[in-house]
Amino acid sequence: MTYDLVVIGGGPAGVAGALTAARAGLRVALVDSGARLGGQYFRHSAVPGAEPGLGRFLRQGRALGERADVLLRHQAWSAAREPDGTLVVHCVTRSSSAPGGGAGERTVAVRARRLLIATGAYDRPLPFPGWDLPGVLTAGGAQALLKGSGVVAGRRIVVSGTGPFLLPVACGLAGAGARVLGVFEAGVGLGLVRQPLLALDKAGEAVRYAVGLARHRVPYRTRQAVVAAHGEREVEAVTVARLDKAWNVLATRVVECDTVAAGYGFVPQIELGTQLGCETRHDVDGSPVLSVDAAQRTTVPGVWAAGEPTGVGGWRLSELEGRIAGLAIVAGHGTAPRTAPAPSTDAAAGPRGDLTTARAPAPGGDPAAAAGRPGEQEMPGEPEVPGELEMPGELEMPGEPGEPGVPVVPGVLVRRRARWRAFGEALQRAYPVEPGWQGWLRDDTLVCRCEEVPLARVREAQDLGATDARSVKLLARPGMGWCQGRICGYAVSCLAGEPPRPPRRPIAQPVTLGALSESGEASDRAPADDPPPHPNPRRSS
Amino acid sequence: MTHPDFLWRNPDPKPAYDVVIVGGGGHGLATAYYLAKNHGLTNVAVLERGWLAGGNMARNTTIIRSNYLWDESAAIYEHSLKLWEGLSDELDYDLQFSQRGVLNLAHNLGDVREGRRRVNANRLNGVDAEWLDADEVKKFCPIINVSDRARYPVMGATLQRRGGIAKHDHVAWALARQADAYGVDLIQGCEVTGFEITGGRVTAVETSRGRIAAGKVALAAAGHTSVLAERAGIRLPLQSHPLQALVSELLEPVLDCVVMSNAVHVYVSQAHKGELVMGAGIDAYNSYGQRGGVHVIEAQMAAALELFPIFSRARVLRTWAGIVDVSPDASPIIGPTPVDGLYINAGWGTGGFKATPGSGWVYAHTLAHERPHPLAEPFALDRFTTGALIDEHGAAAVAH
Repeated sequence: MTYDLVVIGGGPAGVAGALTAARAGLRVALVDSGARLGGQYFRHSAVPGAEPGLGRFLRQGRALGERADVLLRHQAWSAAREPDGTLVVHCVTRSSSAPGGGAGERTVAVRARRLLIATGAYDRPLPFPGWDLPGVLTAGGAQALLKGSGVVAGRRIVVSGTGPFLLPVACGLAGAGARVLGVFEAGVGLGLVRQPLLALDKAGEAVRYAVGLARHRVPYRTRQAVVAAHGEREVEAVTVARLDKAWNVLATRVVECDTVAAGYGFVPQIELGTQLGCETRHDVDGSPVLSVDAAQRTTVPGVWAAGEPTGVGGWRLSELEGRIAGLAIVAGHGTAPRTAPAPSTDAAAGPRGDLTTARAPAPGGDPAAAAGRPGEQEMPGEPEVPGELEMPGELEMPGEPGEPGVPVVPGVLVRRRARWRAFGEALQRAYPVEPGWQGWLRDDTLVCRCEEVPLARVREAQDLGATDARSVKLLARPGMGWCQGRICGYAVSCLAGEPPRPPRRPIAQPVTLGALSESGEASDRAPADDPPPHPNPRRSS
Repeated sequence: MTHPDFLWRNPDPKPAYDVVIVGGGGHGLATAYYLAKNHGLTNVAVLERGWLAGGNMARNTTIIRSNYLWDESAAIYEHSLKLWEGLSDELDYDLQFSQRGVLNLAHNLGDVREGRRRVNANRLNGVDAEWLDADEVKKFCPIINVSDRARYPVMGATLQRRGGIAKHDHVAWALARQADAYGVDLIQGCEVTGFEITGGRVTAVETSRGRIAAGKVALAAAGHTSVLAERAGIRLPLQSHPLQALVSELLEPVLDCVVMSNAVHVYVSQAHKGELVMGAGIDAYNSYGQRGGVHVIEAQMAAALELFPIFSRARVLRTWAGIVDVSPDASPIIGPTPVDGLYINAGWGTGGFKATPGSGWVYAHTLAHERPHPLAEPFALDRFTTGALIDEHGAAAVAH
C-alpha cells in the first residue's frame, strides 16, 4: 500500500502539514527520528512543561495521532523515486524487541505518492581553540538535553555565538538551576529594534527573555564571544574576547566555567531534497536551502518542503509553511502526480507566480480547501496570538497576481508567510557571521574534528593551490569523516572563501551496512485502513 | 606532510598543440606524462571538462592486480603492475601503493574450475598466482565466513600477492604534477564540444573555451568516450553504466587484503585511513548519472554481509557512482579510429584504475609513433569486425 503523503519531520512544519492533509482525508504517515513529536522548538520531556505554544502544538500532535500514522524513532536516510513514480523513504528504527537487543536496527520503507520535507535545521558551530574539549556543546545541543531529557548541561555555563536563539538557551539553562555566567553575543545584538513592524511583533518575546536574564542576573554582552576554551581533560575556563565589527579580537579576559554552549545560526537540513534532485538557492546568510514556489512545492514533482529546509525563519513561519504545503497537497490530491519535470514556466513564475491557484478544481480534495474558506482550515486553538489575523497594514498589502482560478492557499496565509519570511530574513541580516572568527584559530586548532584536521592542514592545502572547499577537502580531508561535513562544512567553506555548497550526500544519515543490506527487503509500512483505526469523519466515502 | 610543495599550474589554453588529450582522469594524465617522459612530446594539452581526476579516478575502489586470463590482457595489465611497483619513486610522491594481496573467491564448482584455470594461465604468463582452498582462505583472511551453510559458500580463491591498492588522488596528483613540470598544459573547466575534421583528418577541437588546433587528438574520457566519438561521427561498441561504491566509517585494522567475489558482485578492502571501501556490480541500465540506484547496493551489501558478518554494524558514510564504459568483450579499445589523427583509449569498464600507468604508457607510444604499441595491438577497434575478441568477462570480477 502507498500513502497519499509521507511527511519527514515532526516539528511545527511537519505536524502542521501532516495534520492539514490528514484532516482533509488523505492517508498520511509522519516519520521523525525523535521519541516524541516536537522537533527542536517544541522538544519536550515525557511530562511536558508549560512553554508558550507547546500546549497548542501538543493538541495538534494528538489530533494528528488520531488521523495519521506517526512513526517516531524512525530515522530517514534516503528518499528516492521508484520507476512507477512512487516516492519511497527508507528509515531505520531501533526496537528493543529486535534480535540483538537494544542495538538491533530494523529498516522500514514508507511509500507515498507525495512527500513533504520538514526536516528542520541543525546548529551551525564555528571552530575555536579548545572546541573539541568535553564540555563544549552547541547551543542547540544544550537546549535539547534540557528540553528533551531535563538534563542541565553543566553548573557554570557560558553561552556564546550569535543570534536571538542564544536568549532562550540561556534563559532555559538559568531557569533550570545552572549558573549562566554570561551570554556573549558576537554581533551587535537585538538589531531588530530597527525593524519597527517586526520588533512590534516580537517585542513580547524579547521582553520575556530580557526579564528572564535579569531575574537570574545573567549578563548579556554584545560584541563579545568565547574565542578559546581551556582545560586539561574538560573545559575549565574560556577566553572571552571583546570584538570589533568584523569580529577581530580587541581584548580578552578569562572566565572560569565548566560548560560552553555556542551557536552561530543554523544549517538547514536538505539532504533528502538534494537526493531527489530538488533545486536549491542561497538564503540571505548564504546557506543552501530548497527552492520552493508559493505553494511550497520544490522543483521535483510530488515533493514539497516547509520550515527550515526552505530558509530559517522561526517556528511560526515553519508551521505556516507546513499548513500551506498541506493545503496545496490536499488541493492536488486526486490528480495524478506528475512524473515529468515541472514546466519551466513554473520556476519562472517565482514565489509570487500563479502557483497559489490550482489549474483545475481539485476533484478528490477537500471542498473546504478548494473553496478557500480559511476558517475551515484553522488548526486547533488557532489563532492563539491575539490580533495576529488583524495585523495592521495587512489588508493594504497587494493581492496575489495570477490567473483567475480556484485559490488553493488562502491569501491571508500567503500574506502572513510573507511577513514571517521577511522577519526571518531580517534576523539573518541582523546577525551575520563576520570573518574575524578565522583569526581566533591557531595552527593546531582542529577545523574538522572527525578527521582531526587542524587549521594548518587547511592552509597547507590552499598553499598547494586549492581555491575551493572541494579541493581543500581532497587535499586535507576535512568533512570526510563521521559527520560528512555537517559540523565543519560551513567553517571550511568560509576558510576557502566561498559560500557553502548544497550537500551531495546520497545517505542523509549514517546507516549501518546491515540496515543498508536489509532495506532491499524492508517491510513496507502500509496505512492500516481496513478498518481505519480512527474513523475519519471527514473522509468522503 | 604527504604532499609536495607544489602541484600544477592552471594555464589558459594555447591556440594549438601537437597533441590534445581529452579527459583529465588517470589515463589522460598518465598519457600526458609518458608522452613527455618517454617520447619528448611536451606541446601537449589535457582538456578536462570538470576538475582533474574528478571522474572515475575519484570514484573507483583503487584495486590493482594483473591476474587476467588471456595472454593479451595479462601482458598489458602485468606491464601496468610492474610500472606501479616503481611509480612512487619515479613520480617522487607517496602513492600509498600497498601490495597486500588480492583474493578472488570461488563459490561454486564452476568458479573453482575457472579459478584454477586462471591460476595456471597466469603462471604461464609470468603473473604470480596461487590457488587457496577454503581453509587456506580462512587463514589468509580470517574474517571471511567460509561456512558451507552460507548462501555463497567459499570453496576456494585465487590469490595474487602482488596485487593491492593505492591512493587514487595521490596517483592523479603525482602524474599531473610531473606532466605539468614537463610543460604539459592541464586545462580544467574546458569541455570539448566538437571536432574539426578536414579531409578525413582531425585538425582541431571545439571547446567551451574556444577552438584549439591539434596535430593529434586522444580521447581518454571513460564513460563519456562514446558521446565524444559520436561528435566525430564514430559509433563505438560501448555501453555506459553507473558503477557504485561506498565507504564506511573509520575502523581499526580488520582487513589486510583485498577480497573480490564475482558471484556476489562485491569487492572490499580497508583503506590506509581505516575505512572499508566496498564496490558493487554495475547498475544494469545505461546511464550517465554519477549516482546509482539504492536497490543495487542494497542487494549486494546483503550478499557481502554473508561473507563478512563482522561488518554489519559498520556505518556507511558515503556512496557514489562512476560511469564505466563497457565493451562487448569486457576488454579495452586502444588505438587509431576511422578519423585520421583521432585516437581512442576506452572500454576499460570496471578495471581502469589498475591499468592507469600501463594504459598511459602504451597510449602515449601509440600517439607518438602513430601505430599501436605491441601491447595495444590486440585491443584495436577493428577486433569487433574481425572477431578476434579477448573475452575477459570472467576476470573482470564484476558482472557486466
